[in-house]
Amino acid sequence: MTVNEVAVVGFAQTKHRARIRNQSSSDLVYQVTREALDSCSLTAKDIGTLIESSSDYWEGTCCSDVVTMEAAGGYLKEESKVEDDGALAFIYGYLRIRSGLFDTALIVSQTHCSQSPPLPTLSNLSCDPFYQRPIGLEEQAAAALQMTAYMKKYGATEEDVAQVAVKNLGNAVNNPYAHRKVKTDIDRVIKSKVTAYPLRELTSSPTSDGACAVILASGKKAKQITDTPVWIKGIGHSVDDYFLGDRNLMENIGLRSAAKQAYKRASIDNPLKQLDVAEICEPYAHQELLWTEHLGLCGKGQGAKLLREGVTTMNGSLPVNPSGGVLSTNPYVARGLIRIAEASAQLMGKAGKRQVGDAETGLCHSVSGLGGQLHCVVVLGK
Amino acid sequence: MEKTVAVVGTGQTNHGKRFDVSWPELVHEAVERALDETNLTMQDVDAIVCGSMPGMLEGTSDPHFWLTDGIGAYGKPVMRIATCGSTGMSVALTAFYHVASGLFDTVLAVGTEKQYEGSSQGVISQMGDPHLIRPFFPGAVAGFATQCVNYVSKYGLKMENVAEAAAMISVKCHSDALDNPYAHIKAKLTVDDVLKSRVICYPMRLWDCSPTSDGACAVVFASTKVAKEIAEEPAWVKGVGYAGDEQFYGDKDMVDWTACKTAVKRAYDMAGVMNPLKDLDVAELYNPFTYQELLWYELFGFCEKGRGIDVARNGVTTRRGDLPCDPSGGNLCTHPIGATGLIRVAEAANQVMGRAGNHQIPDAETALAHAMGGLMQFNGVMILGR
Repeated sequence: MTVNEVAVVGFAQTKHRARIRNQSSSDLVYQVTREALDSCSLTAKDIGTLIESSSDYWEGTCCSDVVTMEAAGGYLKEESKVEDDGALAFIYGYLRIRSGLFDTALIVSQTHCSQSPPLPTLSNLSCDPFYQRPIGLEEQAAAALQMTAYMKKYGATEEDVAQVAVKNLGNAVNNPYAHRKVKTDIDRVIKSKVTAYPLRELTSSPTSDGACAVILASGKKAKQITDTPVWIKGIGHSVDDYFLGDRNLMENIGLRSAAKQAYKRASIDNPLKQLDVAEICEPYAHQELLWTEHLGLCGKGQGAKLLREGVTTMNGSLPVNPSGGVLSTNPYVARGLIRIAEASAQLMGKAGKRQVGDAETGLCHSVSGLGGQLHCVVVLGK
Repeated sequence: MEKTVAVVGTGQTNHGKRFDVSWPELVHEAVERALDETNLTMQDVDAIVCGSMPGMLEGTSDPHFWLTDGIGAYGKPVMRIATCGSTGMSVALTAFYHVASGLFDTVLAVGTEKQYEGSSQGVISQMGDPHLIRPFFPGAVAGFATQCVNYVSKYGLKMENVAEAAAMISVKCHSDALDNPYAHIKAKLTVDDVLKSRVICYPMRLWDCSPTSDGACAVVFASTKVAKEIAEEPAWVKGVGYAGDEQFYGDKDMVDWTACKTAVKRAYDMAGVMNPLKDLDVAELYNPFTYQELLWYELFGFCEKGRGIDVARNGVTTRRGDLPCDPSGGNLCTHPIGATGLIRVAEAANQVMGRAGNHQIPDAETALAHAMGGLMQFNGVMILGR
């Protein structure tokens, strides 16, 4: 088997909203599949393999791919489902094409959050039934503990964290697909309603309805399909310990390891200098600061400084989340794949009003699990 | 296919009712056995693929986060795969593609289920489209009973003949399981015992149905670079195939089943299997219900359509026959669903590596593993050989 170069050749996402009433999950999947195929003038017949990403708990369905597989054009295709973030499904599709057994892959991910129980209920159910679940641990509570620890350890303030929300929700104004978009200021953010202290409404992501699809192709095929292929330069994914008490929430081994793998494969030794744009999953505002540190864009505890200096704003040398990020749009398991679609749009020069100048190399990051247990890092390049 | 990816070792739990361990502990038992067999430590493992059926079976969402501790996956790539009944095979295929990509040399595939803590049929009946299927979908047994009745009617067979052939398969599997130290249900039965057991859902009787089991399976996949260092005689992956078709029962032919034929053809073509009865030495078929094994004989090309009964009667698929099927007892005897497909791969690999112990088929060189799932949708096949 030959090892192939692999490129993103097409993508599509829904206009994400708090509630999409008139479409089922399968309808959302069909919509993004159709639009992604159209974006690169392919038909379902041209797709070699299909990797889905969805969650049975969020879909309220056992074996969720049973229901959506046909809507993704998966009839008699080599299909599989990653039950985790869409970025992992993307990595799996990449591995399949690299194997030389497929020339094209479709990756689809969706969540209809409005039809599911609230995030604290569902994320409490991902806790083990003996130790963590009975004490009521869930994603927001874990993130609140993490933010408290971050402020204590590095002397960061609520204002520092609020800056992230001001930047990302403001960026989202330029993104026609974004769900929550608002030009706001630090004062309004730190006065927004407390969700789990010190987290507030505007420093926590909403939950959204939406879907995303990305099409991958092997090197030779990619050049036939498009003049602007976006090449996958490196991937990495890794997991941290499970029990929150076993972990150092300020030093995430999952992200450190995922970034190390991806940077090594992409030959990146100075990410701040070599990357032109980054789409980072920040379900909670302080996590953007923390993840930028773990991604090696700055030193420990320096995330807020990086933002204050304007490096990660739209006009900075490394804009982070020009799309508005997860703080603006959060169709739960689809959010990592949206990062990849957004970074690909940047590198293809198709990002419209949110386009950053001369983007050659982009980073995409996704996170899942309490306090960020599992991370993916994907480096894309022109 | 050329030799690029191999199975180099396997580990299974003692399957059954396992109230003595938590879920991560159960998984740990299988992982430890696979590492012991291969003389590897977790430090040698480059990536992990982990799968189970819907988290509702154990009442825990995203269980891979919790199972991380039982596997020892800390600081490593982990990917959770779930494709219903075919999950175990999808896990094996994912591990295969990890290695085939050239990015990973040693990949640990883990499949598991702990069913005695939940209600399997309660969960399975929550499958499918919530508007059109779920309101009347009665779970796995009734779903496959429909397939069986369809089979009898499509080929104009006599139900008593089919029931008798199915009973022979039940006798064969339950007796073979006696030689498998990991099997859950083992019994010496007669055809009459099976035919007189109580009806679960017509025409399926108690001994026609698989149990629910607690269990886990771990399989180590390795690249050409390291396979020979880890195992003297690795089981090389020769062919793979997977396909899914319609979710709506009314849309499909569930007897002359397109997804199954497609997956099998892909794997046969890749492995160069022209005459399966001759080219294969042993097959681990996914047989949660006896009748299905008859169907597989036909869809896998062991006989003509509608002639599965003859194969069951003439003994070709018994351990002394030309093509032994499920010498491990199959999932008719052991069925921790998320692990089951991977157990088929492990058993097939063990046969090729000569490590199947008391149920070893002499000189087995080429083995087939199969799994099925979804609303009679998904089929996956892996062919392993020397």
